[in-house]
Amino acid sequence: MEKYDKLEKVGEGTYGKVYKARDKVTGQLVALKKTRLEMDEEGIPPTTLREISLLQMLSQSIYVVRLLRVEHVEKNGKRLLYLVFEYLDTDLKKYIDTYKRGPNPRPLPSRVTQSFLYQLCKGVDHCHSHGVLHRDLKPQNLLVDKDKGILKVADLGLGRAFTIPLKSYTHEIVTLWYRAPEVLLGATHYSIGVDMWSVGCIFAEMARRQPLFAGDSELQQLLHIFRFLGTPNEDTWPGVSSLRDWHDYPQWKPQSMALALPMLESDGIDLLSKMLEYNPSNRISAKDAMEHPYFDSLDKSQF
Amino acid sequence: MEFDFDLENPFSGSDEQNIQLSKALFIGSTDSDEPSLLFSAESDHMSSLAVALDQLSTRCHALSLIVQAQFSNNLDPALAYLAVNYIDRFLAKREIPNEKPWIARLLAISCLSLASKMKKTSFSPADLQREEGFIFDARTIRRMELLVLGVLEWRMRSITPFSFLRFFTSYFPLANPIIIQSLKTHASQILFKSQNDVKSLEFKPSVIAAAALLAAARELFPAHFLSFRTALLCCEYLNKESLAECCAAMESYDTTAGIEAASNGCDSAYSALTPVTVLDRHRAGLESEKTAGSASNG
Repeated sequence: MEKYDKLEKVGEGTYGKVYKARDKVTGQLVALKKTRLEMDEEGIPPTTLREISLLQMLSQSIYVVRLLRVEHVEKNGKRLLYLVFEYLDTDLKKYIDTYKRGPNPRPLPSRVTQSFLYQLCKGVDHCHSHGVLHRDLKPQNLLVDKDKGILKVADLGLGRAFTIPLKSYTHEIVTLWYRAPEVLLGATHYSIGVDMWSVGCIFAEMARRQPLFAGDSELQQLLHIFRFLGTPNEDTWPGVSSLRDWHDYPQWKPQSMALALPMLESDGIDLLSKMLEYNPSNRISAKDAMEHPYFDSLDKSQF
Repeated sequence: MEFDFDLENPFSGSDEQNIQLSKALFIGSTDSDEPSLLFSAESDHMSSLAVALDQLSTRCHALSLIVQAQFSNNLDPALAYLAVNYIDRFLAKREIPNEKPWIARLLAISCLSLASKMKKTSFSPADLQREEGFIFDARTIRRMELLVLGVLEWRMRSITPFSFLRFFTSYFPLANPIIIQSLKTHASQILFKSQNDVKSLEFKPSVIAAAALLAAARELFPAHFLSFRTALLCCEYLNKESLAECCAAMESYDTTAGIEAASNGCDSAYSALTPVTVLDRHRAGLESEKTAGSASNG
């Protein structure tokens, strides 16, 4: 990896260490994700091969963080694989934090929220139209170029290939805040709706500057959701009571979304309610979301 | 559980939502006029397929091994086809000296191994090589795999004609699953043969798929051939001229049978492949190769 100057460690995330680095020849800033390649007699493991080629395919969208190169290094008998990604200076979590804390706390400009949500839908639609679910959308996984106002989906798909060999790195507790109710209830078959739920939670978080459902256990997470949206039943969500982890829960009536999120105008509330639809098959798709009236005032030609 | 369905087999998902997702890929979730992603993406995968003329003998060496592997190990034609796609993309970027046919063989074995990993099928390079009497050790194959991955920039999800078979069979006038299956099986064999002609690199994967299905329909279900062709010609994603050209090329493969047809684009001397003679024959055939390569109508 003598091609790169490692500048600083920017993360020790789910899949291993991440460094900010500079390409010595071009000066380009990159994010290096190091991972130990478990190669045996069979060579490159099929899962790794499939994951990386999937990433390559998806990173053709500008709304997905671009995988620039894959570098294979053998050092002291250890085989390492570096994934070289484009570098963006911040992520949506840190970006929201600058509006929440700092010297001048204020709401995110509604145009930024609108534009970021649109770009998020673009990236998610790109994945979905390639048949790929992200499954772990959260503000930390959305990288932001604040000067250009660009948002990109990151940390795609690597879950299966790298989680197991790098288990020692995963001290981080997996956040449940963006997890769809069908996943929390143990559904075995789920689809694009799981990502759209996360998109809805992220939308609300941009508006509120704090997470919408901040549960610290699966049960607490469900109760947060039920308290806000009302406890689901066979009328509001056919089939819910036959999900594996369904129990008898306290009965709550749905709260008014408009009252809870006064900073969102009515189109925004309508779109959010379609993203937080209980029945996954009625939940709005990324493609349909992009056509929602909430985005009518957005200049889509720039995307 | 695997959540990403295979772009090469978008309809293989058994779970209902996966299938809905696959359909979205072809027809768009809400708007049926929307061009499908697969059709719009396929051109990207063709850009680098121009194999230089002086690489044709290397291609022959590599492909004859793939043909052999396919027949002796009964490999899925889609897997073999994918391996050949890797070989073509590799040769478009890297030159392999003609006088080193063993590199072509190493390339073929590595590409088969990579394709089988992508397809999640088990394939042991050792089994193949035992029959060959020519063994590369695991380390050598491993290094070649990494070289291929580097040259192909880890872009291993090639769109091949096999990606389109299921979609186009929906245009066939009969919906009987047994008939559709036999149509697909026969078209798969035709596809695999057709790949050996370098001319096939000129056509889009979707066009090749449609042409192979038409050829299969003509042979197996001649009574329905015309209505199938009429239906396919109405498909908005297919260029009619290109399809006609591809069909003409495809007919020429079909007049010959078996491995002979498979080596059509290379050299007719490879028709009877045996492990011992294959390399000699390749060498003997190199001189006449360029003319034979373009004489696919004969």
